Amino acid sequence: MSGLLYISVRKTFGPTVALESFDLDVRDGELISLLGPSGCGKTTALRIAAGFEFADSGAVTVGGADITRKPAHKRNMGMVFQSYSLFPNLTVAQNVDYGLRTRKINSNERRTRVNEMLELVQLGSMNHRYPHQLSGGQQQRVALARALAIRPEVLLLDEPLSALDAKVRLALRDQIRRIQTELGTTTLLVTHDQEEALGIADRVGVMSAGRLEQLAAPNEIYSNPSSAFVARFVGSMNEFPATIRGRDAVDVAGLVVPTPSAATRVDGEKITWLVRPEDLRIGAEGEPGLAATVTSTTFEGASTIVGLRVDLLDALVKADLSSSTASHLAVGQRVSVQIDGARAVCESIGETKPVAEEPAA
Amino acid sequence: MADINPLAPEFPLVVDPEIGGPPTAPTGGIPATAGRPLSRFGRLGPNIVLIACAMFFSFPLIALARYSLQNVPTVLLGAHNLFDKWSWNGITLVFHDPHFQPTLYLSLRLALGTVVLTLGLLLPTAIWVHMRLPKMRVVIEFITVLPYVIPAIAMVAGIIVVKPHARWFLNSDYSLIPFYVILALPFTYRSIDAGLRSIDLKTLVDASRSLGAGWGTTLWRALIPNLRTAIISSAFLTTAVVLGEFTIASTLLKDTLPTFQATFLAVNAQAGYGFNLLALVATTVLFALLSVATRKRGSRASRRANKQDPSHNDVAFAAVSRNLAP
Repeated sequence: MSGLLYISVRKTFGPTVALESFDLDVRDGELISLLGPSGCGKTTALRIAAGFEFADSGAVTVGGADITRKPAHKRNMGMVFQSYSLFPNLTVAQNVDYGLRTRKINSNERRTRVNEMLELVQLGSMNHRYPHQLSGGQQQRVALARALAIRPEVLLLDEPLSALDAKVRLALRDQIRRIQTELGTTTLLVTHDQEEALGIADRVGVMSAGRLEQLAAPNEIYSNPSSAFVARFVGSMNEFPATIRGRDAVDVAGLVVPTPSAATRVDGEKITWLVRPEDLRIGAEGEPGLAATVTSTTFEGASTIVGLRVDLLDALVKADLSSSTASHLAVGQRVSVQIDGARAVCESIGETKPVAEEPAA
Repeated sequence: MADINPLAPEFPLVVDPEIGGPPTAPTGGIPATAGRPLSRFGRLGPNIVLIACAMFFSFPLIALARYSLQNVPTVLLGAHNLFDKWSWNGITLVFHDPHFQPTLYLSLRLALGTVVLTLGLLLPTAIWVHMRLPKMRVVIEFITVLPYVIPAIAMVAGIIVVKPHARWFLNSDYSLIPFYVILALPFTYRSIDAGLRSIDLKTLVDASRSLGAGWGTTLWRALIPNLRTAIISSAFLTTAVVLGEFTIASTLLKDTLPTFQATFLAVNAQAGYGFNLLALVATTVLFALLSVATRKRGSRASRRANKQDPSHNDVAFAAVSRNLAP
């Protein structure tokens, strides 16, 4: 009933194109996160939904109704901002009440809803405090309560967790998801943190240069990226210079690996082959594979990241192994590297390099 | 710190082992200040400067007070009669002058009008510039400094040229208001500008609008209360300018408090200076009260500290919410 739909939206700021033929369908009750490097247009997309910016062309609808030209205060959108946005002159309860007052709801109903919302974010006892008496995480919870109190058609979250420290971020992320599922509010979340995007959403939209590169379920985005950009931006990737062999294999420094990723390529084409660290296997020296030397091992608990220098390529690659497998490896040891090509991605040489991942704000 | 953790009694904490132990109370107290030994000069030096400054400012004022309030012929004033024959009688002459009340009231009305017009023009403009035209800030800042650089007499010269064409306007006492708005701009704009810089304007406006508030409600409920200090201090500065401006009022033949003070000084210098001194003291006290009143709310520093500090409250919350999450 209240799905959010963008129809080929375009938005420019002077000479900069922020959004270009942007289509997105957030279904009723769904949580979609938009992920992308800074300047990819994800925040612009959110602000257009909120009515803070207007699309140059295209349309935005909520529950089928066109809201493209509707001013922000006449829309029914709940928004949580990256920076603390509580009104410093109002108490927690008054902040939550703000949107209800502007809607001229009667005072009994307002009081009930304010309490209800504060209970929902577990801040019922804080209603008389001022924002500056709260911690960052608490402020964002009040902001969430304030946004939800108006019973918005769509909840818009603009990097709501990026100002918080890691532990609080995780807890609040879980809580946002729990409340969102409970209320069934259609939600659009914007973030540059892939862990956050993948962890919370029903579907993830990866954006680049004003366009939606791929929109899919989190595991689909990770294991079946539609483009080299998505592959590189989500998770990490090893890059091998390689040549296409036939229609179903790739030649990496003499090692021919079968892979479905070669299907759309031409035989003999030179490519950069992107392989996830967990798709590398390490065998004993002399086994079939690429001869390499272990250069580093980084223990990360359940898994260990092994750095390798491949002889023929003179390139450093990383393998993500279970710690028990990696326990017998030592720096300087000679090994052979095998590649599982099932999830690999081909990138034509000369294809635009992706933007580096945005540093945490 | 103790009152920042009311979560504790309400929520029986089931501690998540991952979080690691119950939220510990902050280890108490202010760290003992490191005893930094100050050399004798180190302590004395600043005091000497302070005393010198105090003398520099207070001696002329004391002299002024003695001249106008001591009933002793000026030539006989000396250290020996410092406490003799003080009296308010001189000053009361000012209050009894038939021109005093009307000019005072006019000046107060002008001050009120100037404050209202200044805020009415400046607040929306400054907010607009901060929100939409941040690049124009430098230009606006430059323009608002101009009245400070260009002497009032230059403006007066301009008025005289215009006078024959705008007699209907300049005949009214209130025609001074626009000039005073301009004269006060360097102070008022700076004060409002500083206020706007100290809040997260864009986010507050966006938040307010997303909650269904139009521009009027946003201004009234979300911005003005948070710009209180800036608005009050700009109002005070404006009042100070209006109560002290002489050049324009005198040129346009208006009887304001400053023009009255000038004429009275010519008639009775002793009482006139006494009144000036009184005005000075009253203004100082008002400003002092203002700064005390506005400082009370200034808990910005503590708020910032709170943001940085991953309060144990959040950790407690983390523990609770983990256990509640499905």
